[in-house]
Amino acid sequence: MKINILCAFILVALPLQSQQDTVKISEIIIRSKQIPSDIPGFKRIEIDSAIQDKYRHLSFSELLSECTPVFIKSYGYGGAATSSFRGAGASHTRMTWNGININSPMLGQSDFSLITPGISDNITLSYGGASIIDGPGGFGGTINLENKPVWSKTSGLYLNTGAGSFGRYAGSLKFRTGNESFQTVTRLYMNSSENNFPYINEVAGNDHVRETRKNSQLTQISFLQELYYRKASGVLSALIWYNSTSRNLPGSMLVVQSGPDEKQYDESLRSFLGYDLKKGNMNFFLNGAWMASRLDYTSLKASIDSRNLANTFTLNGGFETMIKNHSKIKLTISDELSFIKSNNYNKNISYNSSSLTLSARSKINNRVGTTFLIREIIDGQILLIPDFSAGFEYRLFAGEEHFFKTGLTRNSRIPSLNDRYWYPGGNSNLKNEYAWQYEAGFKTSRSFTNSLSADAEITFYTNLIRDMIQWKPGEFAYWTAENIGKVNSSGIESIVSVKYETDPLNIRLNAGYSYTKSVSRNQADEPGQLMYIPENQANSSIHISYGDLYLFWITDFTGKRYITADNTGYLPDYFLNNIIIGLKPDLWKKISADINFRTENLFNKSYQTIAYHPQPGRAYFISLSVRILK
Amino acid sequence: MNKSIIFLALFILTVSCDRIDGPGPVDPVVSLVSANGIFILNEGNFGWGNGSLTYYSYDSARIYNNLFETVNRRPLGDVPYSMFFHGNYIYIVVNNSEKIEVINNKSLESVTTITGLISPRNLVLAGQDKAYVTSMYSDSVRIIDLKKNKVSGYINIHQTSESAVVINQKAFIANWLEGNEVFIIDTTTDLLIDSVEVGKEPESMVVDNKGLVWVLCNGGWKRDTFAELVGINPQSHVIARRHVFPALESSPLCLQADGDGDTLFYIENGIRCMRTDAAELPADPLIGDDDHLFYKIGINPVNGDIVATDAADYKQNGVLLIYNRRGNLKNSYATGIIPGCLSFMVESGHIME
Repeated sequence: MKINILCAFILVALPLQSQQDTVKISEIIIRSKQIPSDIPGFKRIEIDSAIQDKYRHLSFSELLSECTPVFIKSYGYGGAATSSFRGAGASHTRMTWNGININSPMLGQSDFSLITPGISDNITLSYGGASIIDGPGGFGGTINLENKPVWSKTSGLYLNTGAGSFGRYAGSLKFRTGNESFQTVTRLYMNSSENNFPYINEVAGNDHVRETRKNSQLTQISFLQELYYRKASGVLSALIWYNSTSRNLPGSMLVVQSGPDEKQYDESLRSFLGYDLKKGNMNFFLNGAWMASRLDYTSLKASIDSRNLANTFTLNGGFETMIKNHSKIKLTISDELSFIKSNNYNKNISYNSSSLTLSARSKINNRVGTTFLIREIIDGQILLIPDFSAGFEYRLFAGEEHFFKTGLTRNSRIPSLNDRYWYPGGNSNLKNEYAWQYEAGFKTSRSFTNSLSADAEITFYTNLIRDMIQWKPGEFAYWTAENIGKVNSSGIESIVSVKYETDPLNIRLNAGYSYTKSVSRNQADEPGQLMYIPENQANSSIHISYGDLYLFWITDFTGKRYITADNTGYLPDYFLNNIIIGLKPDLWKKISADINFRTENLFNKSYQTIAYHPQPGRAYFISLSVRILK
Repeated sequence: MNKSIIFLALFILTVSCDRIDGPGPVDPVVSLVSANGIFILNEGNFGWGNGSLTYYSYDSARIYNNLFETVNRRPLGDVPYSMFFHGNYIYIVVNNSEKIEVINNKSLESVTTITGLISPRNLVLAGQDKAYVTSMYSDSVRIIDLKKNKVSGYINIHQTSESAVVINQKAFIANWLEGNEVFIIDTTTDLLIDSVEVGKEPESMVVDNKGLVWVLCNGGWKRDTFAELVGINPQSHVIARRHVFPALESSPLCLQADGDGDTLFYIENGIRCMRTDAAELPADPLIGDDDHLFYKIGINPVNGDIVATDAADYKQNGVLLIYNRRGNLKNSYATGIIPGCLSFMVESGHIME
């Protein structure tokens, strides 16, 4: 057996030695020897680049809800969208941009409708315990948007424009140029929608009435400038990301809408400066970010004029060192300082938290991988109980790609500043939330032929969230935040992907199913499934390309979601189907185009993700992209 | 072969979905609305549309939840707030749906829906076939024609309005949200004729057996003024009685009178009661809160039962608590979410246990 592995190693390694890119050779050699997981014992996936490409100009919430097991609670296209990852709450999904936390410091969560997927090159989902590697608080998981340079002399201009049903228009531009030591990338996305769509209102009166959903206009602009400079073994990165979204918020179907009432304006400016230096076995890194975000909300009817401005400064620094080619140790010091000005707080607030993290990863031989992490957080002036994580992964049969993995994590989440300072009801004495997380799984991959390969993974997990912050009725006429919640979530996730790649036919199939049981363990609470967390979720996509032609079919199943604590009221389950048919011809030498026609909600399914907020029926979108390389 | 089985098993697990049936049907409505019972409006959560109608029958000692939706096969709406009986109809004011549902008082079937309202709160009879609807976010009171069941006009009072009572052809309308006035409208002419300055945020009102209009002012949520209980003379429009609560923290709510009109009840760290001629506010509650979150109360006009709702944590179903006139708990029943307005449909002479 050992001789077979050695032969396989030589066969893989020898042809590669003749290639010019020595970095690639070393990566492949390492993979052939060691287990491939970045975080042994835990689960981290990248969203398929073909899928990401098809959602480039849409909203992040659509990408997540249709293609991942993350449940998105959305008020409709352009409306606020929050997540539930592994049965946890919206504030338990950590959203990062190049490793920097971009969850609102006031809300402690992200609105996924504000993010355009095309703004990043790579999207990774770190499930449960894997999220602690990137930072604290992601009990459900972490979603990271990554930008990375391509060190080549080739310049590229990418233009996209599209129009669709309900007055939707989108346009984008991406320009990349530079050489092997300097790269600049500019991205611009614009999105607007009237968003008036018909639906049948069966609940407002005695008769079923065909109505038009109005007052949900949306205008969105995103701009990202990236600059990278590489000299010797150091890389300097500077990024600036501006985003503005202006929208009307429609009310419930139960409310007679006389005109625009609720409006929201979100604006953010995020800047990032980082330096990475490789010296021998040591990688040093230092990065900082400044993020300013504004959220203004008005409701004429309720006489609300809410003005909120948050400035956050983040600093991360540390080093990683390799020990004997099989182990890595990393030390990270982080600090996050937020300044809040809000007419919902009774004074301006500044708040600081910092942490020290030591992590180690080891792949001792080709059978075993381990991860260990310990983190100490200083929340304001308070030293928290340290968090830790330990993962173990084992190759079941030598030379074959079948892995058993398991991990245990203790994770903490610092309260949001609204939980602490909202007036009235914020509670400055809140403790941090914490969770015990355990997971175990099996992962396998196999190449059946040169053209056909498949991967599959199944994971069981359980999360015990304690001291969860809940707003409860106080002694007077307002609610207060308290550490009273106890939630147990457990479930199973499975993923299968199959690739068949020949010339000219390529087929890629991805399918996923997740079962989630999430219940409150508070004595006074009902024992059923938590509201708005589906027990069953599944999605699948098939991408078939034949020469320049391609077809992309996405099916998403969302199970029943309870809308009352006693589980007597619920929203029914639904299947959604989206289909994209396109053509990607090479027009002339280095100019290529991509024209596609997208049909959303193919079978015109009537559904809601939030009770009494209808979602659109069948919709169409036509898109034209041109790529010019030089 | 073994690996193929592993793949097949994973694939089956991936594509299979467990279907779970929904909850069973709610009890059918079979002559449950008797002559002796209590209607309870469950407000539900603001914006969630999960308000509902409950009926407690004294005759069967049973509670029936979610009746409007069961009968009419659609939800009642967002924040049903108050109700009012007139003729064969029940009028349900649904605050955040900005409508009044008119239903038959026996079958509970929908008769019509009155729209054209802005954040309606309370409905009060202001004439033979006329009612006034107060509004939390508009500066006028809407007039409803009860024959046509339509909005027939409005009276501009330049402030928002909340509770309302009518006596001697005068409607007393309280300006609750950050207000401190009670407006007086002549119901024969629909004209604003006067106003009376009271304590901060007059929240609820009742008329006693001597015709005095009692106004409970909760002092405002910022707790910077003392709560007050004042009695207005409906003829002279002057304040005849004034009780000031002793602590800034006191935030009383939901003033009610018993059937005889000589005893007042309200919620403040429990349920308190006082004779209308008492010189001072009661020092101790008649019913302690005992971990209940009392949200609304009502007094059975026939047997004197003190009926309270407990909103629990505002997310789960609440509880209806029935106490006898001495404050001893007789029974409790699960309701819908945030049980609020209580309306008694009772006849004297019936045995009510």
